[in-house]
Amino acid sequence: MAITPLSSPFFEKREVNSTPQNEEYAIFLKNISKTFPNGTVANQDVTLGILRGEVHAILGENGAGKTTLMRIISGILKPDKGEIFIDGKPVKIRDPRDASRLGIGMVHQHFTLIPEFTVRENIALVLATSPWLDLKKVDEKIAAVSKDMGLEIDPESKIESLPVGKRQLVEILRLLCQDVRILILDEPTSVLTPIEVDSFFKMIMNLKSSGKTVVLITHKMKEALQISDRITVLRGGRVIRTIPTSDANEALLASLVVEGMLPAPTLVRGTPGDIILKVESLKVKDDRGRIAVDGLNLTVRSGEIVGIAGVAGNGQKELVEAITGLRKVESGAVKLLSQDITNKPTRFIIEKGISYIPEDRMHRGVVLTMGVHENLALKCIEKPPMSKSKIIDRRSMVKNAESLISKFSIKASDPCTSVENLSGGNIQKLIVARELSNGGLVLIAEQPTAGLDIKASEAVHQKLVELRSMGVGILLVSSDLDEIMKLSDRICVIFGGKIVGEFMPENLDVERLSRLMLGAD
Amino acid sequence: MVERQLTISRGTKRSIVKALLSVVLTLAVTSVVFLINNVNPILAFIYMFQGAFGDINLASETMIRMTPILIVSLGLAVSFKCKIWNIGAEGQLYIGAMLGTIAAIGIGGGPLSLLAALVVGAVGGLLWAAGPALMKVKLGINEVITTFLMNFVGIYLVQWMISYPFRSPDTYFPESSAIPSSSALAVILPGTRLHLGVALALALVPLVYFLLERTTFGYKVKVVGENPEAARYGGMEIGKVIFVSLVFSGLLAGLAGITEVMGIQFRVRGSLSPGYGYTGIVVALLGNNNPIGVALASLFLAAIMNGSSTLAWTMNIPMGIVDLMQGLLFIFVLASEPLVRFLERRGVLKL
Ligand SMILES: Nc1ncnc2c1ncn2[C@@H]1O[C@H](COP(=O)(O)OP(=O)(O)OP(=O)(O)O)[C@@H](O)[C@H]1O
Ligand SMILES: [Mg+2]
Repeated sequence: MAITPLSSPFFEKREVNSTPQNEEYAIFLKNISKTFPNGTVANQDVTLGILRGEVHAILGENGAGKTTLMRIISGILKPDKGEIFIDGKPVKIRDPRDASRLGIGMVHQHFTLIPEFTVRENIALVLATSPWLDLKKVDEKIAAVSKDMGLEIDPESKIESLPVGKRQLVEILRLLCQDVRILILDEPTSVLTPIEVDSFFKMIMNLKSSGKTVVLITHKMKEALQISDRITVLRGGRVIRTIPTSDANEALLASLVVEGMLPAPTLVRGTPGDIILKVESLKVKDDRGRIAVDGLNLTVRSGEIVGIAGVAGNGQKELVEAITGLRKVESGAVKLLSQDITNKPTRFIIEKGISYIPEDRMHRGVVLTMGVHENLALKCIEKPPMSKSKIIDRRSMVKNAESLISKFSIKASDPCTSVENLSGGNIQKLIVARELSNGGLVLIAEQPTAGLDIKASEAVHQKLVELRSMGVGILLVSSDLDEIMKLSDRICVIFGGKIVGEFMPENLDVERLSRLMLGAD
Repeated sequence: MVERQLTISRGTKRSIVKALLSVVLTLAVTSVVFLINNVNPILAFIYMFQGAFGDINLASETMIRMTPILIVSLGLAVSFKCKIWNIGAEGQLYIGAMLGTIAAIGIGGGPLSLLAALVVGAVGGLLWAAGPALMKVKLGINEVITTFLMNFVGIYLVQWMISYPFRSPDTYFPESSAIPSSSALAVILPGTRLHLGVALALALVPLVYFLLERTTFGYKVKVVGENPEAARYGGMEIGKVIFVSLVFSGLLAGLAGITEVMGIQFRVRGSLSPGYGYTGIVVALLGNNNPIGVALASLFLAAIMNGSSTLAWTMNIPMGIVDLMQGLLFIFVLASEPLVRFLERRGVLKL
């Protein structure tokens, strides 16, 4: 994919005196520091200016303090030290309402829309200024904003029925309806397909041309280079550097983001053995009772990585849930080796050796309020050494946590800290660590590297390859086409609940693959 | 390692602050009520304290009062941890007391009769909770409604039983016959009414703590309560966990009822419980479903109950003050989370 710099020359030339009082800065952070009560230093002396009307990308490894800094700006967290200037004036942002009054809005790393509500209801919820619900006014607002931004979203549709790409647009729409001038977007693209990213970026450019300021966190260098005017890199809670995008390139950014990035070893292809997982004319319904997986056939061999490419909402979720026993199979069969596991309880399927990295990590993958050690034992709590005759062995849990924390370089203040204290990427690492370490026959990996920094992504890729060489069969479901192309021994394209095409990596036709994903051909 | 276990986690610290805040606010509002009635609140609380702990006799009465509250709320703590709201402990308590009493009388005197009474009483409470538990797990019917309604069925059923089939032949009131005196719970402090049931209740504190913190069941209760989707994903049988935690709270409610009979009242009357099943809800919430917190909270509520009777005759304050304080406590416990969050945001509190 070619990198097309969209940044305007205006910014490259723009010289500004960097004093906080300068009105050209929409936001100026001065010496911001934040230490969490458990002693974690998340931000240290951060000084950073965001120019009005620019798209400013924030890069940094997992746990670098990006989300913390953004939550400070949007009033969710309070800094221990430092000052914030908005349009050159010093301000105190005590809560999100203060931020909203100043025209600052944030889209969080994890979805905050209410899935059972419609687009209109979700927006009405944040617009509510009087006790009376004036849906007509909300509709007018939505219509006006949508027209300005060239958005096409049906206010009547329920959030849960929208693909993630659309949901992300609704998050933005919701901010714009609140008349936000400064938009903070925390990893909005991590689960979007390249096509969705494109339309998302078009939207960002629209925002920019209408004078909005955008701060965008991402782990993908390409995206930062493509969309932003300037880039700031954080590491260990400090600002490493802020550079105009025109002066940056992927290698430079990578070297700034992580220290000592190992050159990725060339990945060898697997040597597939016997069929280990077989899905036969599977039919599965979605939450609303419509057929989502429609007579799908699929095989995974031992020692093989099968990539499922497709736009979200084409049955991937339902397929995976059917295999893992979380969703009822209407007809067809799932076979593990020679055993029929169709509609068996999840517990049985786990015990037979199917591991699963879920996409919805906050709601499915972890219990946020429980400790890291407890979460790492989620699937093996009934087995020794975690417990013996139903009595938990806490020491084994802690020991297990300590070893996985170091093996997967999870950043946690201690092995028993609540998972809610971890950064988004580190929660993902925790789930990956748990699922890769329980020695299954088959691994189902949904977006395994979403939200991971380049180093951690590379580490996960290498772990997946390692598992493959040990004979594990891996079903990789990812919106990241690069990831699929890099790892898969075979690529299946899913559309409308069916596999509509299959490629071997050596004769891959990206054009055709993209067309198949969209249902053309 | 040892150090780590000794330090209090942030969450625990927070819930302690929340509980203390609720208590302080309750006392503050009660003080206002005292002032309006021309009563010196400080004096009133001193009398209350004296009434609860003033001498060995009063203190043991408070411990006796604490016993059924503690047993009930330990059970409720388990179901609440699972986010299962058993509002029916009162009915389960009465059914347990009734069935246990029948067993004690049926077997006659002696330790065997005592043991049988306790077991039957506990199982009675369990069975009374099993109906709502089954409806919840099999049909998805909200347990708040079913357990609450089963209170009326249970309490009136017991009223009927002590009015007709099991009415004592030697009294004018609707009440059951007395249990054989040889099967009563022994007094452990001579000169007082302090009975073995107090020890039983206190022994349950570490047991329930162990159940919640050190067993796989306790682990599953927490996961199901905190994130049922993760529980499903982790292969847990959610229905089973919910069922067991609900009937477990019924079991302890039944045990509380029969302990009250075997230790203090010696027969079942309509006035057996002044709402211990409901008090248990407040206590479990105030104690943040932590057995140690629950123990302290039940002592506190017992002290309010007993202290106010002293208050009633020293300062002429109606006993309704107990209900007032209990109600306030309930409101403030529920309000404490947003309150603490508000204080944190204003920088008043730093947790
Ligand atoms: N509530 C909290 N309590 C304690 N520590 C926290 C809390 N929130 C975050 N941290 C810690 O602060 C550090 C920075 O976290 P932050 O979420 O800002 O990282 P991030 O740069 O957004 O990472 P990611 O890319 O993984 O999302 C991490 O080490 C994290 O463990
Ligand atoms: Mg983050």
